[in-house]
Amino acid sequence: MPPSRSAAVVTAPLLASVLLLSACGSGGDGGGGGGADGKPEGSITFQTWNLRSNFKGYFDGLVRDFEKANPGVKVRWLDQPAENYAEKLSADAGAGTLPDVVNVSPDLSYPLAKAGLLMNLDKEKAAARFKDEYTPEAWQGNTLPGLDGSYAFPWYLNTGPLFYNKSLFRQAGLDPEKPPKSYDELFTAARAMAGKPGGRTATLAGTPSIEDFGRYGVKLMNEDATRFTYNEPEGVELLTRYKELYDRGALDAQALTNTPEKSGQKFLEQKVAMNPGSAHDLGTFKKNAPALYRNLGITDAPNNNGKPNMYVMGLAVNARGKHKAAAVAFAHFVTDRRNQEAFAHQVAVFPSTKGSLDDPYWTKDDGTDEGRVRVASAKMLKGAVNYTPVVMSDEMKVVLKNEVAKALQGKKSPKEALDDAAAQSDKLLKRS
Amino acid sequence: MQRAAGRTPERRPARAGRVRTHRAASPWLFLLPGLGVVAAFVLYPFLSTVHKAFTDARTLTPGTWVGLRNFREMLDDEQFWVALRNSVLYVVAVVPLTVLLPLLLALLVHKKLPGVTFFRSAFYTPVVASVVVVSLIWGWMLDDRGLVNGILRFLGAGPVAFLGDQWLLLLSAMALTVWRGLGYYMIIYLAALANVPRELHEAAAVDGAGPLRRFASVTVPALRSTMVLVGALSSVAAFKVFSEVYLLAGPTGGPAGQDTTLVMLVQRTGTGLNGRVGYASALSLAVFVLTLLLMLLVLRADRKEADG
Repeated sequence: MPPSRSAAVVTAPLLASVLLLSACGSGGDGGGGGGADGKPEGSITFQTWNLRSNFKGYFDGLVRDFEKANPGVKVRWLDQPAENYAEKLSADAGAGTLPDVVNVSPDLSYPLAKAGLLMNLDKEKAAARFKDEYTPEAWQGNTLPGLDGSYAFPWYLNTGPLFYNKSLFRQAGLDPEKPPKSYDELFTAARAMAGKPGGRTATLAGTPSIEDFGRYGVKLMNEDATRFTYNEPEGVELLTRYKELYDRGALDAQALTNTPEKSGQKFLEQKVAMNPGSAHDLGTFKKNAPALYRNLGITDAPNNNGKPNMYVMGLAVNARGKHKAAAVAFAHFVTDRRNQEAFAHQVAVFPSTKGSLDDPYWTKDDGTDEGRVRVASAKMLKGAVNYTPVVMSDEMKVVLKNEVAKALQGKKSPKEALDDAAAQSDKLLKRS
Repeated sequence: MQRAAGRTPERRPARAGRVRTHRAASPWLFLLPGLGVVAAFVLYPFLSTVHKAFTDARTLTPGTWVGLRNFREMLDDEQFWVALRNSVLYVVAVVPLTVLLPLLLALLVHKKLPGVTFFRSAFYTPVVASVVVVSLIWGWMLDDRGLVNGILRFLGAGPVAFLGDQWLLLLSAMALTVWRGLGYYMIIYLAALANVPRELHEAAAVDGAGPLRRFASVTVPALRSTMVLVGALSSVAAFKVFSEVYLLAGPTGGPAGQDTTLVMLVQRTGTGLNGRVGYASALSLAVFVLTLLLMLLVLRADRKEADG
């Protein structure tokens, strides 16, 4: 029986709406426009990661200079807050509105590149010709496992120093001028701090992260990044020692749930003695916690293998953008030696362009706290490693954190917990 | 009139047909904007979720059909059972309190006394305050060195790990949810209390009933349907709780993820660049079915009581 006219009247608007929405939802699969080799022209978007509030002047000037040198190009600068940046990227990527030039770290560029949304710079002549301007490590840092190429122009690098509270060290009978350098020294100091007369003081606010396992000397993944290996004996040893600290009260009472932001707040409130951070935090301490600032010690994060952790930032180019030539030109412009060095003079980050770090600005201590952190961190960069495996998703990080928590609570042995975490993460990895 | 009188009988059925069509179509044309919104923000996402629940879709890839694999995985997922346990516990603990406490509060403030408006506003303040702000304040208060533990220390009791212990954390989140809901449900009860006939109270008083007896025999029966409404609303809200637990327990869902609720699990699994959208959709579908069952349960219990 054919549908009645009234039924058609009822269903037609609904069907039309659904079809219209289906069409809206399928964004992101259209091919890109012009090639990357042509003359830079057109209107492009450029997205940074939480930089507008402090560096508006710098980026406005950068955009102005680029547009002046390339009259056919218009750049629209966007900035996103630090929190939920990955969610924002995924929403843009899903809707087909990923910016033409976008600020990413390697772990963020991996899923985007895998979905074919980022330009392989090694395969694009217009971009590959700039490769020699950057340090080989930085260029290598943006290559992604299994994807054969580099997917972002190297931008700024950072190695976080470890801050400590000299006053709390003194109260625990520790020499405030000799902060722990290795994990052995860290555990010894933490035991002393937890057992000090007049009440326990926690040395650290958080549980060991994947970077801690890396700095401890644990191999995190196999060679081809298809299996997690942090459950090897050295990893178990690290977790066993952390459990001992937890049992003694050397970790903050809420260490199992603290986020980096909460840990930073606890250090600011002088509730814990040590916390990782960046030179950027110095201003915050000066302004919000002058008492802490007067007793602030700055050292390198403990390390067993001489290779500190390095945070890598890059600028990726949207493979489906309409004006690829303009996007490549702008991404290179922002990350060229002159502009990287200018940016690194404004904030305590480090340029990834060849020869930049030989400049006296990064080799000679000017006597200020900022200068001391800068020179120490720049020195650490040589031989630094980005320990966060690019294939490790946020869900895998939660899996590790939760299994570590079970070990610290005594619900599982460290070996069982790490075996389970690695097995769960491998399963997630296989399905990604 | 003249034109109508001059119309031939053959043309009448055609016009009548057009009128019938217009009569059928006109209401739908008026409804079209509303239907469009419903289709866009309710129907399409729902149908899309149902479809994705049977695929291995990820945030950036549409995925392929995997049949019931996501649902089988759900049954084997330890985190799903932890989340289900927590959501059910939330309903069991929070709903009776959100049905009773706002009623008592409404009884306290429904009479027109001097200064009662201040108390009504004060009780309503947590409802209008942002859940993020409220949760942060509670987080600070319940911190191991926060206000509550400061008072406990002053009284000679040791610090209590409100935010470090799995069960205390869940209880703290429940207390926050109840506290935030007090004012909202109090307003609903105040509206209902205004409609309880005064004559019934007066008649009961004449018969010698005291305040407690009048409450049990007059007020409660008159508010029964409102109590069912509050129970239904609060049970759905409790089953879908997210913000309070997320903000107090952190993104991992408390120590070792033991305070994760179902909606938190959906959020954690399905978002981000690597989000497992297919699996998260299957979890969402499970939450939908369970919520539906919960509503049916509440309504059935209400009907049974009414019939009884």
